[in-house]
Amino acid sequence: MELGPSNAGSTVTAQSWLEQHSRSLGLFIDGKFVHPENRETLTLSDSKGEKVCSILCANDEDILSCSSSAAAGFKVWKELSDAQRAKVLLRLGSALQGYSQCVCEVCDLCQTPGSATPLIRLAQYYTGWAQLRHTLLPEWTPRGVVAVVMSDDAFFYSMWLKVIPALAVGNAVIVVPGVQMAPPTLLLAQLFMKAGLPAGVLNVVTGNESVGVRVAQRSLINYISYSGSTQYGELLVKQVAGRGVPVSLSLSVCSVCPFIIFESADVDSAVDGLMEAAFKNYTEWRWVVCVQESVYDAVMEKLKFRMFGMKCVHVRDECERARVDAAVHEAEQQGAMACPPPSSGCVYPPTVVCNIAPSCPLVVSPPPGPALPLLSFRSAAEGVALGNCRPQGRAASIWTEDLTLALETAKSLCVGLVCVNTCSVTDPLLPQSGRRESGTCTDGGREGLFQFLSASVAPPFLSQSLWTTPSLELQHPRGRVCKADSGCSRSVHAPGGAVLAHCPDGGRKDVRNAVEAALKVQPGWMKKSPASRALALYSLSDCLDKRKQNMAASVHRQTGVSIEEAVQEVELSISRLSDWAALCDKQNGHIPVLPQTGSSVSTPEALGVVGVVLPDTKPLLSMVSVLGATVSVGNAVIIVTSEKFPLPALDFISVLQASEVTAGVVSVISGGKDQLTQALANHNEIQAVWYWGSAEHCSPLKRLWLHCEEEEDENGRKFWTKPSFSMQEEMWRECVKTGILHQILFYHLYLFCDVASSTPSPWHRVLYTLSVASCPLRPLRDVASSRLSVASCPLYPLRRVVSSTPLRDAALTPLRDAVLTPLRGIVSSIPLRRVVSSTPLRDAALTPLRDVASSRLSVRSRPLCPLRDAALTPLREVAFHASP
Amino acid sequence: MEERNPGMDLDLEWVSKVRVNTQAVLKRAQQVQGRKVAKKQWQAAWLLKAVTCIDLTTLSGDDTPSNVHRLCMKALQPIRHDLLKSMDMHDKGITTAAVCVYPSRVADAVRSLKAANSSIPVASVATGFPAGQTPLKTRLEEVRLAVEDGATEIDIVINRTLALTGQWAGLYDEIRQFRKACGDAHMKTILAVGELGTFTNVYKASLVSMMAGSDFIKTSTGKESVNATYPVAIVMVRAIRDYYLKTGHKVGFKPAGGIRTAQEALVWLVLMKEELGDQWLTPHMFRLGASSLLGDIERQIYHYVTGRYPAHYELPMA
Repeated sequence: MELGPSNAGSTVTAQSWLEQHSRSLGLFIDGKFVHPENRETLTLSDSKGEKVCSILCANDEDILSCSSSAAAGFKVWKELSDAQRAKVLLRLGSALQGYSQCVCEVCDLCQTPGSATPLIRLAQYYTGWAQLRHTLLPEWTPRGVVAVVMSDDAFFYSMWLKVIPALAVGNAVIVVPGVQMAPPTLLLAQLFMKAGLPAGVLNVVTGNESVGVRVAQRSLINYISYSGSTQYGELLVKQVAGRGVPVSLSLSVCSVCPFIIFESADVDSAVDGLMEAAFKNYTEWRWVVCVQESVYDAVMEKLKFRMFGMKCVHVRDECERARVDAAVHEAEQQGAMACPPPSSGCVYPPTVVCNIAPSCPLVVSPPPGPALPLLSFRSAAEGVALGNCRPQGRAASIWTEDLTLALETAKSLCVGLVCVNTCSVTDPLLPQSGRRESGTCTDGGREGLFQFLSASVAPPFLSQSLWTTPSLELQHPRGRVCKADSGCSRSVHAPGGAVLAHCPDGGRKDVRNAVEAALKVQPGWMKKSPASRALALYSLSDCLDKRKQNMAASVHRQTGVSIEEAVQEVELSISRLSDWAALCDKQNGHIPVLPQTGSSVSTPEALGVVGVVLPDTKPLLSMVSVLGATVSVGNAVIIVTSEKFPLPALDFISVLQASEVTAGVVSVISGGKDQLTQALANHNEIQAVWYWGSAEHCSPLKRLWLHCEEEEDENGRKFWTKPSFSMQEEMWRECVKTGILHQILFYHLYLFCDVASSTPSPWHRVLYTLSVASCPLRPLRDVASSRLSVASCPLYPLRRVVSSTPLRDAALTPLRDAVLTPLRGIVSSIPLRRVVSSTPLRDAALTPLRDVASSRLSVRSRPLCPLRDAALTPLREVAFHASP
Repeated sequence: MEERNPGMDLDLEWVSKVRVNTQAVLKRAQQVQGRKVAKKQWQAAWLLKAVTCIDLTTLSGDDTPSNVHRLCMKALQPIRHDLLKSMDMHDKGITTAAVCVYPSRVADAVRSLKAANSSIPVASVATGFPAGQTPLKTRLEEVRLAVEDGATEIDIVINRTLALTGQWAGLYDEIRQFRKACGDAHMKTILAVGELGTFTNVYKASLVSMMAGSDFIKTSTGKESVNATYPVAIVMVRAIRDYYLKTGHKVGFKPAGGIRTAQEALVWLVLMKEELGDQWLTPHMFRLGASSLLGDIERQIYHYVTGRYPAHYELPMA
């Protein structure tokens, strides 16, 4: 009982669109296709190796004209009202609807998984946000020109998940799609124009890998959002480093995600879910299955039963297949059990590899392909540990009917999205983000808008003052005050140049010790109720209030500001701490209402350990603001004091010790800014680094929040003294990730992290992305394996069912027999039916029943109709309506 | 004929461990419904397969020997001979799997079929169909009488009261007795899923029925408000798979009630193929309880053969 060959799907509309462009697609700049002369071209071919079309490689000249067009486009677009922008997106939705077939087919030809339906939903969802931006996000402004860069193996949908929100809030976007994705992207750009998007607001630059970097390096660009493979993302960040442009990354391609089946699960459903998730032709995520020992055999048995006779799954090409094969064989050599039947060509049979070692490459960095590693665990806690034991943190799927277990597990898994009793739910409503190495960016939902917005500026406020205390300490964990590990110290100078004190010269090992201590206490701190965190911060503010005089004196001596100003700074600090304490239990998650069944919950979550490099401005106030923001949501923070003015921060240590803030949650290290920043960046446990200054070392994979600080910068001071509400929210967003819970039967949990957004440029606190050159990153795996399998098999078979009514049937129609004709002839003067048709009566041609010999009927026909039809339907009285 | 399911001792621990996630089952059902079905000649082949799996049924108060006779004749020649011939299938012995009638009509059906020299089994519903709310004694007697009259397949209905109140041991005993009363006749156990409340109950009832020795488990009587739906079928089919994996005995599956179109029949076949594999795609393992379905399949086959849709008067009536 076979289903017959799969319908390969027609590509007529796609081909005709490509023909319109003579199969050579240009760049999409300033609202039209341009074909500059003498550019390199790249040829795309379909799964059968036939040429689909060629695309141009943009050179610097094109990129320049593109970015100036985008800058001009931004001016126009920004001036439009919310309603006007919403209208464009709404029209885009309907344009997409009209071209959905074409979009699917073009994606298909280019071997890029893509379909119009989710895009239509995306456009519709962000239409709402475009309409309501000023109402719901009044204090935020668009960033300007945004570059969206994709690697070649990224998903088509994830590109528009960035582009559409960026446009919705009023940015101009330059898109750099991967090579395969270029034709459908250009098609969509054309649809945008149809929808009435002003010229220049959306530009598409195509070309090889270097184009993304070259676009990102243009000075007119205010923000870069990247989605795709880790290795190209890293390259991009390195190349853009030091240019003052914030970059955020979504590194979801080839993320390894745990699929945990507990003994309390509906095993059959879990197996179904697994088969659906793992053995598809295109998958964004690689699943590693963890099964509780007590149901291990049942799962294996059912998998075996269901997989029996399954068809092979397409992989991208021959060498991809060889890689999967090699990985499976290596696993087998390490004692795993699998028996993939031999295969050839671009397909690989679905394979489950059991008894596999957790260190096996198939588990650590599985190649794209239908090879599924299966691990077993004993207890629920071990399952969670197994699930958490990997550098990526994109998603997890857990299967249990036990509500308590599901909630507990969802909480303890360190991923951006936990699906309970399901394995994939996508909707633009749900923010997607990753933890750990899965990127620094949140896409989708309300949260996905903030990466394209910057907080507006608040009105200015006062200035600073000076004094002295000799101190020689460095606080770190467990509330201890200790010397630097190296034993060195450095002198602190007053503004006049006199030596005020000697402070410890912290280094790499001090950072290491601080992180160690922070890791011990941070989980406990995070689990504390928000109310008790609030109390701790109130007590901190209270302690500061009690030592107001000392602190003011310290600020005065150190920075040289007047005593009044110093007092004012301390008072502001006190109220700032109270603000954050108050906010502790006010920032909640939300419950996105899903279009499908099930429910979801999104909750903010602390990042973990955050490193902060303080500015020279307002040494106390800046420290307190940052400390309040990070600690209030449950992070531990390691603060590097200002190199120039460390004393107020060091004096603050005694305040910390006196307060109820858990020892170890806040560590303060003084010393050389550059060496400490490097130490922070090189410690992988530190999840984010906030940086003020001009140093040159940082890891691009962390959430960086960077601020350039110039000496005596008036604007910098305002930042600390009078932040607006949106500024506060931005700070809050910097230190949490939000999460979601979705439900099938009980729930699915999504937890997602928030983005490193950035600072308002009006204060020219330009963002500096730092050069990575000096610090080698930890080796990222996946280097070779980040290719997605893009094969010829249709992803959406349903869309493609274009039923071809075969003409052959006419010939096969035995009923209407020639022999019968004379018999029919007798009655044929009576019209058997009156056919009123608004479509060409093709079928009439196939009606031998009504015989030719007996054509005595008059046929009324309008000239618009194909004459052929009229001639061929002699028997019936046909009234034609002109078909459009 | 394959070996019958001998049943096993009631394993209450197994029954109590059953967990079914409603939403996941619904999602799976959607997936199955969204699967591509066969086209062209493959579709025609699948439709003919569906025909051979049909239990052609009439269960009405106004059944008389004459319409039962017509039903039997239709079962013998389910698709117009010329249509089969043009597909070169006229000599492959395509008949429906069985005819299914009330116990009082069994004798009529047996007579009609014998007269036509056919070996199509006659199935009879029994045990107080459809509600099952009659004393055990009369229900057992009903089974025996139907078998005596010549029914070789008995569709029994379970006692929903026992299932809903969780008296699995009681249910097991009853079905065991029915099985004994059936003797050599095959027993199909109707779970009446529309009245069992939850998927978990459906799963448990399926397991208990199979443990008690059912040859088939059947979704519904066709008389409840909710009949054969895909989600509930997925639950039952999973139970069949579970039972097979644990005991090695294959139990058949029969959806019944509300299956009217050829399209639905194709989805049912796809569901069986996906969940249980090709070995369940035979009349021994899979039946479709239906009365009007056959007409639609014949229409589709007519369309496949001729390229046009037949007028209602072109196909012989059942």
